[in-house]
Amino acid sequence: MAGFLKVLFRNLLQGPSTDPFPLVPETFTPDRLRGKVVINQDLCMGCGICSYVCVAGAINIEKREDGHTITVWHNSCCRCAACRQYCPMHAISLEPNWHSAHAEADKYKVIEQKTIAYEPCSVCGKMIRPVPEATLKKLYVHNDDVDLNHVRSLCPSCRQLEDARRSAGLPPAAEKKAVE
Amino acid sequence: MAFDDLLKKNSVRSPWLFRINAGSCNGCDVELATTALIPRYDVERLGCRYCGSPRHADIVLITGPLTTRIRDQVLRVWNEIPEPKVTVAVGICPISGGVFREGYSIDGPIDKYIPVDVNVPGCPPRPQAILEAVALGLKIWKQKLGLEA
Ligand code: SF4
Ligand code: SF4
Ligand code: SF4
Repeated sequence: MAGFLKVLFRNLLQGPSTDPFPLVPETFTPDRLRGKVVINQDLCMGCGICSYVCVAGAINIEKREDGHTITVWHNSCCRCAACRQYCPMHAISLEPNWHSAHAEADKYKVIEQKTIAYEPCSVCGKMIRPVPEATLKKLYVHNDDVDLNHVRSLCPSCRQLEDARRSAGLPPAAEKKAVE
Repeated sequence: MAFDDLLKKNSVRSPWLFRINAGSCNGCDVELATTALIPRYDVERLGCRYCGSPRHADIVLITGPLTTRIRDQVLRVWNEIPEPKVTVAVGICPISGGVFREGYSIDGPIDKYIPVDVNVPGCPPRPQAILEAVALGLKIWKQKLGLEA
C-alpha cells in the first residue's frame, strides 16, 4: 500500500510525461540524431565516392565541363550516414534536422543541391576543381617554401611537373597568360 | 444540408487513422505504434485513433514499398476507405522505393497507383515527424471537406 502511494505521489510531482509537440512548435532533439544530409560546397571535389556507397541511390553527381552539381534527394535517403563515413573530404554531414513532412506537390523539391564551379589551370588552361585550401595546407605541411595559391591554380599533371621542377631546383613554370 | 454540415464540423475533431503495411520491414510500423501508444507522443491528442476497419478510416498511413505480392490487396483495402480520405506515405519506402527501389519484387513507389497527399521521409521517420505529418494530413483533410481554404 505504501509503495503504491509513493509511486502515486512521485507521478503527481513529475507532471505529465507527454511531449507537448506538435501543439507547441519545439521539441527535444538529440544532438547526434541523423537527419537531413548537408553538403559543404567548399570541400566537395565531385569524386563520386558518396554516390557509389549510397545504399538508397539518393545521390546524383552531374559533371560538366565547367563544374559539377551534386544532388541528394531526401525522399530516398535512408540516413545511414555511409556517405559521411566514406567521403574523403569530410564534405557531407547529417544535421539533426528531422522535420521532413511535406505535401505531395513538393515531393521532388526536397533536395540538397550544391553546384561547384571549376576554374582553368593557370598553366595549361584545363578546367579543374581547385583543391580546397585546408587540404593543400595538409598536403604541403612539410614544404613551407611553396606558394599555395599558385599550386592551387594548377591541374594535377601541371602540379606534378611543378613538384618535379621544385625537387630539381628549377624555377616555377611561367603562367600561360605571361607566355602569350 | 444543415445536418450534413454539422456532421462534417464535428467529425473533424476525430479523424480516425488506418494503417496499411505494403510490405514494409516493420521499422516504420514500430514507429507508428510508438506514435500512438507511448504517452510521450500520444497521437490521440489530435483526436486521432487507430481503427480496425478501413470503412471507418479518414487518414490512411501507408508503409512499405508496395511489393508485387501485396499490391492487389493494398489497392482493394485502400479503395474500401470512404472519400474524402487523406493518404500519408510513411518512410522512404512508399515515397520512392527507398533502399528497395528497382528490386525484382517491388512495384512501387506507391503514387504509381494511389494519389498520395502527404509524404514523411525517414527510415523510419521519428515519431515527432509522423505527428507533424498527421497534423499536415489533418489540414489537407479539412480542405477536402471544404471547411478550410
Ligand atoms: S561529397 Fe565527398 S564523396 Fe561525395 S563527391 Fe563530394 S568529395 Fe566526393
Ligand atoms: S545517408 Fe546513406 S542513404 Fe542518405 S545519402 Fe548518405 S549514403 Fe545515401
Ligand atoms: S522506410 Fe525504412 S524503416 Fe520504413 S519500412 Fe522502409 S526500410 Fe523499413
